[in-house]
Amino acid sequence: MLREWKDKEYVPPKQLFQLFIRGGFALTKVLLKNLSNLKNVRAERISYTPPERMYDLPEYKEGMKYVKSDEKYLRPTLYCNPYGKEIIAMANHLGAFEKEPYEYARDAFEFVKRKIILQIIPLDGVVATLKRGYGTCLHKISLLIALCRVAGIKARYKLYALSVIQQWYDTFIGADPLMQEWYNALGYFMLHGEGEIYLDGKWFVADVGPTPERQAASSIPITRFGEDSIGIWTQAIPGSIMRVESLPLGLGIASKLLMEKISPGSVAKMNNNVLRQYKEGRKILQEMGEEEYDKMARKGYKMPTIELEAKNIIFE
Amino acid sequence: MIKFDEYIKNLNKRLESYFPESIAPNEEGIFKPLDIYNVPEREANEYKFKSIKYAFKHHYENNSFYKKFCKDSNVTPNDIKSIEDFKKIPLIPDKFFKTYPSGNEFAMWLATVYTGDLPDIVINKNDSHEKIINKFNKAGLVISYSSGTSGRHTFIPRDKRTFHDSEYAIAKSVITMVYPFWEYDMYGYVLMPNPLKTNVFAGKVCSVYFDAIKDIEVALDREITADLIQAAMQNNLKGRIIRYAMQRENKKMIERIIKWLREKNKNKDKISFVGAPFILYFVMEELAKNGEIMDFGENGAVVTGGGWKIYEDKRLPVEKFRKMVEEILGIPPENCLDLYGMVEGNGWMVHCPEGHYLHLPTTYYHARVLDENGEDVDYGEKGRFAFLDGLAMSYPGFIISGDEVRMYEKCPACERQTPVLEPEVKRAAGAEMRGCAEEMRRILSMDMSG
Ligand SMILES: [Zn+2]
Repeated sequence: MLREWKDKEYVPPKQLFQLFIRGGFALTKVLLKNLSNLKNVRAERISYTPPERMYDLPEYKEGMKYVKSDEKYLRPTLYCNPYGKEIIAMANHLGAFEKEPYEYARDAFEFVKRKIILQIIPLDGVVATLKRGYGTCLHKISLLIALCRVAGIKARYKLYALSVIQQWYDTFIGADPLMQEWYNALGYFMLHGEGEIYLDGKWFVADVGPTPERQAASSIPITRFGEDSIGIWTQAIPGSIMRVESLPLGLGIASKLLMEKISPGSVAKMNNNVLRQYKEGRKILQEMGEEEYDKMARKGYKMPTIELEAKNIIFE
Repeated sequence: MIKFDEYIKNLNKRLESYFPESIAPNEEGIFKPLDIYNVPEREANEYKFKSIKYAFKHHYENNSFYKKFCKDSNVTPNDIKSIEDFKKIPLIPDKFFKTYPSGNEFAMWLATVYTGDLPDIVINKNDSHEKIINKFNKAGLVISYSSGTSGRHTFIPRDKRTFHDSEYAIAKSVITMVYPFWEYDMYGYVLMPNPLKTNVFAGKVCSVYFDAIKDIEVALDREITADLIQAAMQNNLKGRIIRYAMQRENKKMIERIIKWLREKNKNKDKISFVGAPFILYFVMEELAKNGEIMDFGENGAVVTGGGWKIYEDKRLPVEKFRKMVEEILGIPPENCLDLYGMVEGNGWMVHCPEGHYLHLPTTYYHARVLDENGEDVDYGEKGRFAFLDGLAMSYPGFIISGDEVRMYEKCPACERQTPVLEPEVKRAAGAEMRGCAEEMRRILSMDMSG
C-alpha cells in the first residue's frame, strides 16, 4: 500500500512536510498563547448563510461515455474520484468526447472557475463539491481535474504556499483579529494551487480558484485558461511550488481541525467577506461588461510579474 | 537684487552635504546646471539622455523583475540610442507598487523591487510592515510610502543616494522658481508630519527644508505610522478615538501656527510655509473669523503640495486659496506656488509665478502623456502622466501614474525653457484618489467645520 501511496504522491512531498511541521509548531505556540482569547472567539456566533448552487446537475444516464484508466494523472487520487455518476454526467454535459480535448478542457475550466463559489470549508470529495456548488480552491481544482481525467485528459495539481495581495489579505485575514495574529502561523497551511492540464504535449495551467467577480472586485484581470495567477494576484513563496498527482494525506483532517474545531466564527467571517466581495465584483461586471472590464484591467499598461527573492534578508 | 548664479551657488553651499562625492552620469542634469529651467534644449537633451540611459542600463542589469519585464517587451539597453527611443523603455504602472504581499514576505517583496544588493537585514516572523521598513531604514535605506484611500500603500525603496538626490531636486526646483525670495536666514513652517518621525514620503522629503532654512517649526510632531493611518481610517471605536484625539491636537496645532504668525508679522520677519494646503486653509479660516489680517507682502511665501480637498465633499479651488493667502496673510499670488510630485518619482513640477503652470524638469527626467493604449498623445491633449526618472537608482523609475494631465511644449505664461503641465492635476477616472495632502487630511480627519 505504501508503494501505491508513494507512487500516487499521497505522501506529502518533502517541502510540504517541512511546511506543515513548521506550521504545526507555530500554530501550537499561538494557540497556547491565546487560549482565553480563543474561548471568546469560539463563543462568538456569526450569522452565515452558504451560497446557493448556481447550476442544475445534469442527469446521469446508463452507458454514458467515460475513460477509466490506471495511468498516472488519469487515475483517481485522494478527494478526486473521476468516476462519480454526477461527474460523468457533468463531463458529458460539458461536451467531453464531442469537443476537441483543448476546447473541452477550456470549457470545463470556465465552468469550475465561474460556477463554483469560493468558500472556506473542510476538504471533501469532488462529487460533494459538484453537488454543493462551492468550496475552497483545492475543491475547485480537484473538480476540474476529475472532469478532465474522466474525459481521458491528464491533469495534476500545482500547489504552493501562498502569499497574497493586500485586498485578499483583507478579505481573509483582516476579517478577524485572532486570524491576524495567526496569519504567520497559518501561512504554512495556506496552501493554494492551480490545476495543470496536459494537452498536445504541454501542461496548461488553470487558475480556477477566483471567480471573475472576485477578480473584478480586486481590480485584477480575469485569468484565462493557460494563464498563471502567480504574478497577477499571488506570489509563491520561493521553493514552495510543487506539481503532484494527488492532494497529500492529512490535509483533510488538518483542514477539518482548523476550520471546525479551532475557530468556526473566523471561518464564517471570511466566508461572508468572500460573498460580499463576490457581490461587489458582480456589480462592476454588470456595469462595465466583462470584456470591457478585463480590457481595462489589462489595458496598455502591462504589469510586471515578480518572483520573490530573499537577497540578504535573514528570517528568524 | 542678488544675481541668479550667486543665489544658486549659495544654495549649493547650504546643501553641500547632498552632493555626492563624485557626480554619476545620471545625476549631472540636476547637480551641474545652475538654472535648471533655462538649460538650452540641446544641452538639456544631452543631460537627459545620458541620465536615463544610464539608469535604464543599471536596472536592466541589476534588477531581475525589471529585466524580465524588458525581455517580455523585447527591449535591451542597446536599443536606446536617442531620446526618440525612450518610447521603448517599458513603463511600470504605479499600481504595481501596491501589489506587495502580506506578512513578512513583504520584506522579500521590497528586496525584489530593489535594484542591486542589499545589506544584511534580519526580519522576525511577527514584524509589522512598519517594523520591516524601519529595519531596512536602519540598514541605510530610505523606504517610504504614500497611502491611498483604500488603505493600501504605495511602497518605494530608495537608497540614501537616490533619496538625497530627490531632496536636492525638490529644494533646487522650488528655490529656483521663487528667485530671489530664498535666503537661509528666515523662518519656515512645515505643514506636514515631522520628517524625522515618519516614513510617509511627502513628510520625509521635507527634511531638506531644515538644511535650506535656518529656523523651522513642524506642524505635526507626533510619530505617524502606517498602522496609525490605517487605524484612523477605520470606522470603529479605535478609529473614532484616534480621530478624536487628533482633532484635539489639531485645534492646538492651528493655535500654535496663529501664534507664530502673529509674532513674525509683528517683527516683520521673513517667513515661508511648505506643505499641505488644507492646514493653512484652516489657519486662515480661523484668522478670518476674527477679522485678523496680516501683511507679510514680499516677505512671505507659500509652497503647497499634494491635493486640494479640505473636507470629504469639498475641494478648494487653487485660485481661491491664493486669493485667501493674499487677503489674509498679505502674501502676493506670485509667492504662492503649488508643487506636483509623487512618492514613485524624484522629479518635481513647480508652478511658475507668472502663470502658475507646472514646469517639468528636463535634464534628468522625461515626461510623457499617454492614451489608454500607452501611445503618446499630442501636446495639449489629455492623457495619463508617465515619466522616466534618471535619479531613481534603487528601483526602476519608469512609471505610468494614475494622474490625468495636459502637457504644453512651452509655458503660455513665462519664458522658461521647459514644457509645462496645466496648473491642476487630477486623478484619472477609475484611479484611486490620493496625493500627500489628501493623505494628511485623512490622517488628521480634520473636519473642523462641525
Ligand atoms: Zn511658466
